[in-house]
Amino acid sequence: MRSQRLVWNQQSGWTPKQFEAGRDSLVFYFGTRQALAGGTRYHELRALFPAAHILGCSTGGQIDNNDIGDDEIVAAAIGFDATSLRLSRREIGDPSQSRACGEAIGRDLNADDLAGVFVLSDGLNVNGSALVAGITGVIGPKIPLTGGLAGDGADFKETLVGGDCAPQARMVAAIGFYGSAIRIGHGSAGGWDVFGPRRQVTKSAGNVLFELDGEPALDLYERYLGPEDSQGLPGSALLFPIQVHDAAHPDSAVVRTVLAVDRDARSMTFAGDVPQGWTAQLMRGSFDRLAAGAADAARQSRAGLNGHADDQKFSILVSCIGRRLLMGQRTTDETEAAGVELGAGMMRLGFYSYGEISPHAKSGQCELHNQTMTVTSFAEVGS
Amino acid sequence: MHRLIAQQIAKATAADGKVDVARLSELVNGAYEDLDRDRRRTDRSMSLMIEEIDAVNRKLERLVEERTRELRAREIDLQAQNVRLDAALSNMSQGLTMFDVEGRLIMCNGRYLEIYRLQPGDIRPGMLLREVVEARIRNQSFSGDPDQFVAEMMAAARDRTPMRQQVELLNGRTLALDVQPMAGGGWVATHEDITERKRAELKIAHMALHDSLTNLPNRVLLNKRLDEALAHVERGQQLAVLCLDLDQFKNVNDTLGHPIGDELLRKVAGRLRNCVRDGDTISRVGGDEFSIIQTDIAGAVDARQLAVRIAEAVSAPYDLHGHAVIINTSIGIALAPADGTDPHELLRNADMALYGAKGDGRGMFRFFEPKMDAQMKARRTLEISLRKALENGEFALCYQPVMNLGKDGMKSCEALLRWHHPERGLVSPLEFIPVAEEIGLIVALGEWVIRQACADAAKWPDNIGVAVNLSPTQLGNANLLPTVLNALATSQLPPDRLELEITEAVLMHNTETNLKALHQLRSLGISISLDDFGTGYSSLSYLRSFPFDRIKIDRCFISGLGSNSESAAIVKAVAGLAESLSMTTTAEGVETQAQLDQVRELGCTDVQGYFYSKPVPVEELTKMFSRSSARKAAVA
Repeated sequence: MRSQRLVWNQQSGWTPKQFEAGRDSLVFYFGTRQALAGGTRYHELRALFPAAHILGCSTGGQIDNNDIGDDEIVAAAIGFDATSLRLSRREIGDPSQSRACGEAIGRDLNADDLAGVFVLSDGLNVNGSALVAGITGVIGPKIPLTGGLAGDGADFKETLVGGDCAPQARMVAAIGFYGSAIRIGHGSAGGWDVFGPRRQVTKSAGNVLFELDGEPALDLYERYLGPEDSQGLPGSALLFPIQVHDAAHPDSAVVRTVLAVDRDARSMTFAGDVPQGWTAQLMRGSFDRLAAGAADAARQSRAGLNGHADDQKFSILVSCIGRRLLMGQRTTDETEAAGVELGAGMMRLGFYSYGEISPHAKSGQCELHNQTMTVTSFAEVGS
Repeated sequence: MHRLIAQQIAKATAADGKVDVARLSELVNGAYEDLDRDRRRTDRSMSLMIEEIDAVNRKLERLVEERTRELRAREIDLQAQNVRLDAALSNMSQGLTMFDVEGRLIMCNGRYLEIYRLQPGDIRPGMLLREVVEARIRNQSFSGDPDQFVAEMMAAARDRTPMRQQVELLNGRTLALDVQPMAGGGWVATHEDITERKRAELKIAHMALHDSLTNLPNRVLLNKRLDEALAHVERGQQLAVLCLDLDQFKNVNDTLGHPIGDELLRKVAGRLRNCVRDGDTISRVGGDEFSIIQTDIAGAVDARQLAVRIAEAVSAPYDLHGHAVIINTSIGIALAPADGTDPHELLRNADMALYGAKGDGRGMFRFFEPKMDAQMKARRTLEISLRKALENGEFALCYQPVMNLGKDGMKSCEALLRWHHPERGLVSPLEFIPVAEEIGLIVALGEWVIRQACADAAKWPDNIGVAVNLSPTQLGNANLLPTVLNALATSQLPPDRLELEITEAVLMHNTETNLKALHQLRSLGISISLDDFGTGYSSLSYLRSFPFDRIKIDRCFISGLGSNSESAAIVKAVAGLAESLSMTTTAEGVETQAQLDQVRELGCTDVQGYFYSKPVPVEELTKMFSRSSARKAAVA
């Protein structure tokens, strides 16, 4: 396996300009909505890598090893020696089609030698939980499914995804890895701490939360955010994600992050389901605990590679926009912490997302996560 | 240097190593603002959280207070309920135990200890059933196999099936044990001492089937036994049913009183018991009626022997509280299968045979004969006709003159009842009077006779009286006096022209009442005669007990006058006695001149019989009066 980092910026365009593209190669690229809009950058990449599958999305910030930036587009070109690839993309008209869309992608990619799937999805017009359920429903729970929902900074207006095409809204694209040579390690952790009383989801519908303990959910958030941060809704709601779990299965706790608010209905739309009757608890983060979470995710991912000494190893870090909103300049604490765990030989790039997809650290079941750092590491045996 | 400031410097340093101070201060500023914001957020969220948690705590405290209050109230309720429950348990008439699913005693009440004579220390909660049983074995209040008992109880509890048992204790008492499984395992058992109830039930069951006076089986048990015995008959055996009653038992009750009558029945029952074998059944089916089932007999001869034994045994003298009583029994016998195999048929046939035996004379036994059935039917027909005869006007009176042996000539006429049956013609009084007596028609019939006789006599010459026979039943009837007065008043017949004839039998029953009635009648001026004298007990004490106006000497003495001297002696003695008591005497059944001469010689004052006139219809009698008055007129 070979991997090459690329960067695009206003001044220099893509650097480096030269790249030895292999037969089965894959390019990941991540940038702001504004930078990707129009498709120029995609077409430039396509020109550079005519035979490769090119997969990218808009973000809430790009991760380039330890650095986090908003201006440059980061990309990585990866050439596989013994792994074949298949790309699937689907448009999604409405969040209610999420499951069907996931199933369609699953059918596109499913094969006996399917070893893993990495998916990028529109971050606003999708029910991530349903999408994941749709894919795993077809490919089965044992195939690792990782990825994330595209971001739009703190704007929550439009997210773009492109898979062998110019990035566009309402798009889901996934790449399947085939063969026995590929090794995919994955890890997911939050580092958020629950606080305050446990509340009950007294009214919800799918991923729309209306009431907690009989009180409009938005009232609670606004109270906690204060007048200043309330102006920044829905983005500022990321400061207080909620952890939800079925009261009967406390181990199944997942963190949910806000995608949108409806000030008239006093409701909040989350990136995944918030089932009525479940228990919910607000969460808050501290710089150190979130960085420790990122390190934990990285550790899990590296462990998943079983110590293969591929010097071209490569990781994609998908971290939640909420973490960046909270940590500000200190966000690099988490990329550094992840980097320390993954080791110097591991090329890292990634993005700040509206949702992370990875198997659950405890249950192993693929799920949509929020407010986590998820790390997917790739290596090839025998390369 | 802090990692952050190093990063910030790096970011603010251009490629040529020149530090962009404005950029650096912007970054540092931002970092401070980040921190401030984070602190503000943290402070805000912490204080809100504290508020919330405080609110939750207060809510919880209120909840705890509320629940504590509820619990206390419930506790008080429970205590009160416990007190009530305890009172209920202590005062219930049944013993009660409660065991848990493992068979350990949860509680028992005082009555339980009492029933099994346990001391409070003998058993305690937590003990296994087995240990409770052992405690009862020690004080001998347990009988039966302890292992089996424990196994049965545990099985019933395990299967959750209720159990009912009757337990006989060593001290002879009987307990009803009722075991009910409880929800959640275990069981509750009640122990009730049902000794008295059981005794009472047995007694009631016995009473339902036995006669309380003699303790003999009653008719219900008789029928049951007869059913059973007849089942053996179907398999080839023979049996006899004997129906018997005591002759003249009513006399004993009437003369000596019911307590003596009851004592007699008890003694008769005892004697009957001695006459039969163990398998036979003696039943008292009514007043003085008994029925006996003699099972497994070889034939009629066995039944005959039993009848003879019974007749002998019953007729032996009794000493009833100082009263010597002799009584006979009449017995009817029916055999199965010869006379029937249906219980009712057999009893009816034996009854018919008894009726036949009574017809034969008291103290007899008779076997059932098919013709008895016909006789019985004939009697029934007679009964039915008799009941209609009075309203149909089928009765008539004829009269037989009584002649004075002095110079008075015809003195009176005795009224004699005749029944002109529309189909059978003239029916003998000997046939229908006993039936009328039995069916209670005799009173109405007697009243008719009195009224009719008075009405007839009122039309006769003033010197001719009329004599009417009174049956014992009539005399005992409270209506007699009003009837006589009414008849006299209606007919305008002077009382001294009416003579009422009674037999000795009248004086044997209800003597006091009858004598009182006789005195009342006599005080009205009515004459009272003693009829058929010499045929019954002929006790002279009867003559002393009432001042009869006349004694009628029975025809058997008159017909015997020619052939034996005893009759003459008796007639003479009676006539003499009557004369000395100022009574007149009528010789009945005088048929010849010789008899007439003789009775005149022996001292009788009057005669009656065919020599003068047979009984004649009233029309003919009227003609006789006319002739007599013509004759007298001619003489005059």
